[in-house]
Amino acid sequence: MADENTSFEDNLKELEEIVSKLEKGDVPLDDAINEFEKAMRLVKSCDDKLKDAQDTIAKIVNENGEIVDFNVE
Amino acid sequence: MSVDLRDRMQYLLNLFLVNLYKFCSDIMDVEYITVSKVTDYISNIFRSDSKLKRVFIMGELSNAKLYPSGHLYFTLKDDDSQISGVMFGAVHRLKFRPKDGMNVLIQGRIEVYKDHGKYQLYVNKISPDGVGDLHRRFEQLKKKLYKEGLFDESHKKKIPNFPERIGVVTAPNGAAIRDIITTIKRRWPFCEVILFPSLVQGDRAASNISYQIRRSENFDLDTLIVGRGGGSIEDLWSFNEEIVARTIFDCTTPVISAVGHEIDYTISDFVADLRAATPTAAAEIAVPPYGEIKNAVNQLNSRANLAIDNQINDYKHRMDNIVSKHLFKNPSEIYAPKEMMLDNIVSRLSFSSKSLIGKNSNRLELIKNSNVFKDEEYIIKAHKEKLLLELSKLEVLNPLNTLKRGYALTKHEGKIVSSSKELKSGDEVEIEFKDGNVNTMVI
Repeated sequence: MADENTSFEDNLKELEEIVSKLEKGDVPLDDAINEFEKAMRLVKSCDDKLKDAQDTIAKIVNENGEIVDFNVE
Repeated sequence: MSVDLRDRMQYLLNLFLVNLYKFCSDIMDVEYITVSKVTDYISNIFRSDSKLKRVFIMGELSNAKLYPSGHLYFTLKDDDSQISGVMFGAVHRLKFRPKDGMNVLIQGRIEVYKDHGKYQLYVNKISPDGVGDLHRRFEQLKKKLYKEGLFDESHKKKIPNFPERIGVVTAPNGAAIRDIITTIKRRWPFCEVILFPSLVQGDRAASNISYQIRRSENFDLDTLIVGRGGGSIEDLWSFNEEIVARTIFDCTTPVISAVGHEIDYTISDFVADLRAATPTAAAEIAVPPYGEIKNAVNQLNSRANLAIDNQINDYKHRMDNIVSKHLFKNPSEIYAPKEMMLDNIVSRLSFSSKSLIGKNSNRLELIKNSNVFKDEEYIIKAHKEKLLLELSKLEVLNPLNTLKRGYALTKHEGKIVSSSKELKSGDEVEIEFKDGNVNTMVI
């Protein structure tokens, strides 16, 4: 199940597995359609993550152990 | 001590002996001189040699001792020779702590120390033989940690493919952190980078690096990059310190080491979970390339669609195949052959029944038309003829005919006598002839 909480890596891996299974073509049609729907949910989840491209946040841990923004230059 | 120097010493010694001999022969008959004079003479010879005024010598320190006076006394040696040495006011001039066994480079002069009647090395400048010494220390530590198994592949942790938070232990103002942040931004902008600022060269760098690595453990990092940009072997040295190596080994976060350039190998590189040639390379290893991942997802998407389309088309094709079968279009063809078969049977049945009737009626007709039915006399006549035939056969056998030929028939009590034994004396017999009977008696 494409779940927000599972990692991008897990989703990608599951997607790869489902696609390979579908490509073999030996899954009964009903199951194949279920798997396909699952694959589409995983694609969406991965895409959402990839669309969510924020700028890399760079921080620095100062002497007091606090995390503060870090600007290069 | 260099070979060159030893040759020179030998040469000087020879020179000295020749002169001494000359000197002695000169004075032999004249006067005895003091030890001091001899020593002065020798000392002058040393001083008159310009090469001994400025020598560059490398060797290993032994018996090094810093006196309260501030002077350093030591012996410099190699495998074959040794020379005493002294550095005046060393306590103020030394930039390192001289230790026995240390390889050093010395610039100075060689003079005679008259008090002891021996020549010695007066140090102008002394410095550790950095490269040689560091190289030896490097090899020693590498060997030690290797034996302890700190470099074993079995200890290597896998670097996460899709990290969300990466720690970096390096200098906050160096090129390394800049390169790392730039690279991560470009490749995988979903990742947070947290810098743990550290000294990366100098005496305190090793303990500082070690401290920051331990500190980073509290920040829930996916990956930790430890390193710095390029520099001399001395600059990179803190990454060859045991304390850094052990901290990296103990670190629970997967560590990528990135020290200096491609050609620089440090102990940290061996003990880290992965070695990157440069800080930029470390960042490239630490995060996946966005473009490729995006493509991979797109490709998986199209492959999934293609796969399901193919499967559905396959089913459709099979369905079409079935529906388009001739039989489905002409259902009468399913029973037409059976009808034909039925017709065939019916026709054969009617044919055979007719033929059966026909055959039997023919037979009946034949019977009807037989002579028996046409002429009733036919049977009687046939039997009469047969009877007459039988009668004629009987006529042949008639005994009367035998009698006609002269034979007679003897009867007793009405029965024909065929044997003489049937009769006894006194029996009355009847003899039959062809023309009549005679009764008589047996005698």
